Amino acid sequence: MQDGPALAVEDLWQVFGADAASVFKSVHAERASASATAEALKAKGLIPAVRGVSFDVAPGELFVVMGLSGSGKSTLIRSISRLVEPTSGRILLEGEDILAANTRRMTELRRSTIGMVFQHFGLFPHMTVIDNVAFPLKVGGMSRAERHAKARPILEMVGLTGRDDAYPRELSGGQRQRVGIARSLAGDCSVWFLDEPFSALDPLIRRQLQDEFLDIRKRLNTTIVFITHDIAEALKLADRIAIMRDGEIVQIGTPAEIVLKPVDDYVRDFARDVARGRHAKVGSVMRADTGGIGPDDPGLTPEMTLEDALASCMTLYEPVPVRDASGTLLGVVHPGDLAAALQADSA
Amino acid sequence: MKRTLATTTAILLACSAHAADLGATDEPIKLAINEWTGQHVTTHVAGEMLKAAGYQVEYVTAGMMNQFQAIADGDISATLEIWSSNVSDEYAKKIEEGSIVEIGDLGLDAKEGLAYPAHVAELCPGLPAWEALKDCAGVFATAETLPMGRLVDYPADWGTPGAERMAGFGLPFKAVPAGSEGALIAEMRASTEKKSPLFLVFWQPHWAMSAYDVQFVDVPVGNDDCFNDASWGPNPSATMDCGFSPTRIFKAAWSGMEDKWPAAHEILSNYQLAVEDAQPMMGAIDVDGGSVEDVVAAWMSENEGKWKPVVEAATQ
Amino acid sequence: MTEATAPERSALPLTPGLTAALLTLLVGALCLLLQPYAPWLIAYPAGWTLPATEWVGGGLETILNTIKPTVRWFSWAISFPMSWANWVLAGAPWALVIGTITAIGWHLGGWRMALLGLVGFGFVLLSGYWRESMNTLSLVVVSVPLAMLLGGAIGLLANEVPRLRNPLQVALDAMQTVPTFAYLTPLLLLFGFGPVVGLVASAIYAAPPMARNVMLGLERVEPEVKEAGIMSGATRLQQLMLVEIPAAGRQIMVGVNQCLMAALSMVIIAAVIGGFDDIGWEVLLTMRKAQFGQALLAGLVIVTFAIVIDRMSARLALERERFDPRVSWALFGVGVATAAVLALTGTATPPDGIFAGAADAVDQTLGTFTAANGTALDAIKNGAMFYGLLPLRIGLDEAVLPFTWGFQWTQSMSLWLFAAGALAAMAATLTGRAMTGVHVLIGVGILETGVANLPWPFVLVAAAALAWSSVGPRFAVVTVLLLGTILVSGLWERALLSLYLSGSAVAACALVGGALGLLAAVSKPAWAILRPLCDMLQTIPLFVFLIPVLMFFQIGEFSAFLAICAYAIVPMIRYTREGLVTTPPEMLEAATASGATRAQIMWDVRLPYAAPTVLLGLNQTILYAFAMLVIAALIGTTGLGQSIYLALGQADVGLGVSAGAAMAILAFIADRLVQGFAEDRRRVLGLS
Repeated sequence: MQDGPALAVEDLWQVFGADAASVFKSVHAERASASATAEALKAKGLIPAVRGVSFDVAPGELFVVMGLSGSGKSTLIRSISRLVEPTSGRILLEGEDILAANTRRMTELRRSTIGMVFQHFGLFPHMTVIDNVAFPLKVGGMSRAERHAKARPILEMVGLTGRDDAYPRELSGGQRQRVGIARSLAGDCSVWFLDEPFSALDPLIRRQLQDEFLDIRKRLNTTIVFITHDIAEALKLADRIAIMRDGEIVQIGTPAEIVLKPVDDYVRDFARDVARGRHAKVGSVMRADTGGIGPDDPGLTPEMTLEDALASCMTLYEPVPVRDASGTLLGVVHPGDLAAALQADSA
Repeated sequence: MKRTLATTTAILLACSAHAADLGATDEPIKLAINEWTGQHVTTHVAGEMLKAAGYQVEYVTAGMMNQFQAIADGDISATLEIWSSNVSDEYAKKIEEGSIVEIGDLGLDAKEGLAYPAHVAELCPGLPAWEALKDCAGVFATAETLPMGRLVDYPADWGTPGAERMAGFGLPFKAVPAGSEGALIAEMRASTEKKSPLFLVFWQPHWAMSAYDVQFVDVPVGNDDCFNDASWGPNPSATMDCGFSPTRIFKAAWSGMEDKWPAAHEILSNYQLAVEDAQPMMGAIDVDGGSVEDVVAAWMSENEGKWKPVVEAATQ
Repeated sequence: MTEATAPERSALPLTPGLTAALLTLLVGALCLLLQPYAPWLIAYPAGWTLPATEWVGGGLETILNTIKPTVRWFSWAISFPMSWANWVLAGAPWALVIGTITAIGWHLGGWRMALLGLVGFGFVLLSGYWRESMNTLSLVVVSVPLAMLLGGAIGLLANEVPRLRNPLQVALDAMQTVPTFAYLTPLLLLFGFGPVVGLVASAIYAAPPMARNVMLGLERVEPEVKEAGIMSGATRLQQLMLVEIPAAGRQIMVGVNQCLMAALSMVIIAAVIGGFDDIGWEVLLTMRKAQFGQALLAGLVIVTFAIVIDRMSARLALERERFDPRVSWALFGVGVATAAVLALTGTATPPDGIFAGAADAVDQTLGTFTAANGTALDAIKNGAMFYGLLPLRIGLDEAVLPFTWGFQWTQSMSLWLFAAGALAAMAATLTGRAMTGVHVLIGVGILETGVANLPWPFVLVAAAALAWSSVGPRFAVVTVLLLGTILVSGLWERALLSLYLSGSAVAACALVGGALGLLAAVSKPAWAILRPLCDMLQTIPLFVFLIPVLMFFQIGEFSAFLAICAYAIVPMIRYTREGLVTTPPEMLEAATASGATRAQIMWDVRLPYAAPTVLLGLNQTILYAFAMLVIAALIGTTGLGQSIYLALGQADVGLGVSAGAAMAILAFIADRLVQGFAEDRRRVLGLS
């Protein structure tokens, strides 16, 4: 893998409607901002579902796109994977402009580089579990014995040993999505797209699969774009989160940034119901100057969640030190700031 | 139904008969089987004669109206009972093209005309004289024809001879086309069962003539004068005030037949069958329920004198 | 009449529908008023027609002759599988065939299907029509794969090239609505005589259901399944063959099932040409002799095939249990052994029929019944003719005579009628239902004039108005253009007659079928009786029923009307029931919880909810009625059906195809109109 982002998206537009491409071209050339272009397109009866979206995903990063239904996040992932043809923009996958790739190259990329998981699993109803998982290998021309041999360990990894010959209809929802995940991994992908993979599942199963997903991710270290409408899921999984609204990205940031420094009311609304203490870390409220440290040292570290930090300095009213693992002083936190950050709605 | 057959000569020997080559005896001659029993009898008799001459024969079911393309293409070798009253334009076209050739009359003496089941005579006294119909039109009236009487005419694709006659005689009847032969027969059955009035156009030889005791109305014999000259006949101001022109029943074959099976062509050309022979066989099949093969075989063995000479003349 | 419309204009907001209705009314009124001065308003003058049928004939014949050599080659090629199938089926000992069918039955559906196969084919054997039946079966065996290939190809093409979708839909409509008889002659010319014509005809007729189900099936594959195929790196061909077609398998199997049934229903049509000595030919022969019992027996053989094939192939569309293949082999073995024993003992030929006596008895009963009830039957017929069909066809002014109603219709009665109509319309308008009012007036006008005497400008405007309000302005233009073609081709009068006959049949079917459907929805025993009846009416060759209808009611419109109804009523019953019984339970619970009575629930909840489905049933009824028009022509009707027969008899390609096209145009317009209204209702209910 070369340097630079694993995936770079630049000014991506997805416009639906008659003759969208040419209308977009003429409209976009005249207008400066994305929102002005979008308004002009809507006036012409077109639907701008994705509006000038740009972001980079670093190799090995877990990048979550979060938005409500209708925000364009599903269209975005379909544009990036070229399931729908983007109207305008650039998509660089490991440095390669995939919008310039021809059909054959795209097929190759999908066999070898990109994997995708779908909200409703997208399993082939007429194939057994193992045939579903081995399908990307089959279309790549691998022999039956070889591809089954390759599919089995993957099934084992997702916890589906022994169900090789079952049909999708015989599986529970959670099991089906395990098959979906296994299939997307069969081609040894380096970039992994997951479109709301756990939304259709019960809460309990969802949490279990999220944990397993993090496990798998640790083992494979792929670059991941993960779509969800669930802020809790986003905060739990993400390295960075992009919040989408009306086809535009309104904020990109780490979970803590999203929770503690929302750029506008829309993002703040998302964060409102979240138990911030569980997602924001001490580092995000720590001050670098080391003056006025009180006598107590409850042993805070920057990686501690606010919740845990507050619990350890419940009875303290003076600033406390924050140190790294080796004990070096990094900064101070005032317990009042911790409490304020937890209730921070006012900011 | 079976009556003595000795009185008639079924087969008229043509004088021109002379021995000919058999031709391709290894290929079957295909004879058309149309939709009605009489034709089955005619065809099976001919087929048995060809077999006796040493040919292979195949009977091919074919719609009367749709068989001519097949004959022109040689898919069917011959058809043996074409009624001049009921032949499509396509036949004329093929004759003109030369892809079908006519091979003489069958010798069946056919008659067509205005007819009624016998019981109707009681409902309209004066029948079979046609004049009686003038006064009983009301008896034959139905919902569709009121106040006129109803005449069940041939199916529209056979022409409208009944309507023409009603106009010709100036009878107060409206002609209703039957739609199909089955419809005509059903009308006769229903009329006989219900003893209800029925006036229709029909023909013989037909098994229903005896099954429903059908009588013809007496009208002046049809001729060209009547068809063309209004002053002729009982109605001075109209043509068609007379019976039907005599119906010719004839045979036709694929144009290539003469070269391929010369002797067979000669046999079929000279083959004739009389009403007196055909009608009992039709009765034995349709009324008594015999199979065509059995009935024809029985007739063939009883009447060798009527068909053997034709075969022998062509082959020896 | 014009005066009556004036206040409505000012009093009410003009919706597009109302405008269209008013315009129609205006044109109708003008035509009636001007009729004495301009007779060409009523009867389209012959001088204004074009010799379109000759042009069509001439043009077609040139084309046909050009492609004939190529097509003849196809005929030659297809004759091989035909003769093989025939050799296998007709040549195989009957015990072997029955054993095989029973074994297949077991494989598909366990002992039930095995028993069905055994009993069904046992009946065929005992009917005495074994040889003919096997000929028929071999025709089906070859034509169905052909139809499936053709239909599958059309369906795939429409799926892959969206631009072709609409033209292909129209082509499929035409394949189903142009009566087969209309194109038998050109087929005969092209393919040459013999079973191949029947084969091609049935393939043409049976392909559309296959194509439609392929399209529907591929469309209904979950989008994510399709996307998963793409994202797995499958090429388009791999996506189709490995993902989409298998995933659409069940819907495609529904297509196979419908395709089989359609091919089987064409058997009788193929027999008209002959050349195969099949069971259809047998039906035709007995039909010519008006032997109801025998025709029924031969017809029942076809019904048996239909039921066995339908039930067995329907299993293909279900998720199947797997049945022990050893039983299948055993059953097959029993067949082989029986065949061997029979061959060794020299009794291998199929037995003679054992039902001849029963058939005769049925025939006798029919005769006796006719004889016993002649007066009553006549009374029924006259009543229906005098008070229903005749006024509808030629209008009250001509139908009301001393002979029929007991008095003579006069000019002043017409005025009174119109006055009454105008009053009713005014009343309706004042109570806020202007639409109803205008419809009442139009209805009165039609009743007074009669469908066959309707002025052609009125028909054009009325059709366009309907098209406008149900589908849209573009379809209104299409409607006028298509009807205009019929007008200038000189087939107008016949088309109106066909319209009248099928229209009155459809109206009767809608009323009676709707009521029966309602009954079947609320009463299980009623449905238990109606269901097998519906099955039989749809599969038995309809020729068979012409005989009793003719015996009871003689040649004429009433018989044709009944024959059409017998066939066309089935979808109305089925769809009405279907619509009513599929009302979502929570809606019924909500209505019950609100304190609605059963009658109120039926009227206010179930009927409105069922409306789109019922309209689809009506749509099918219309198509069935048009299809039956041609067969009804065998009874003796005037109109397009008769023209098609005439053309078939005279091998007149031009007339046949033109009349067939005219029929298809009428069916097409009616179909789209009703679908438009159904779509409207579905939108209102939020179902589409």
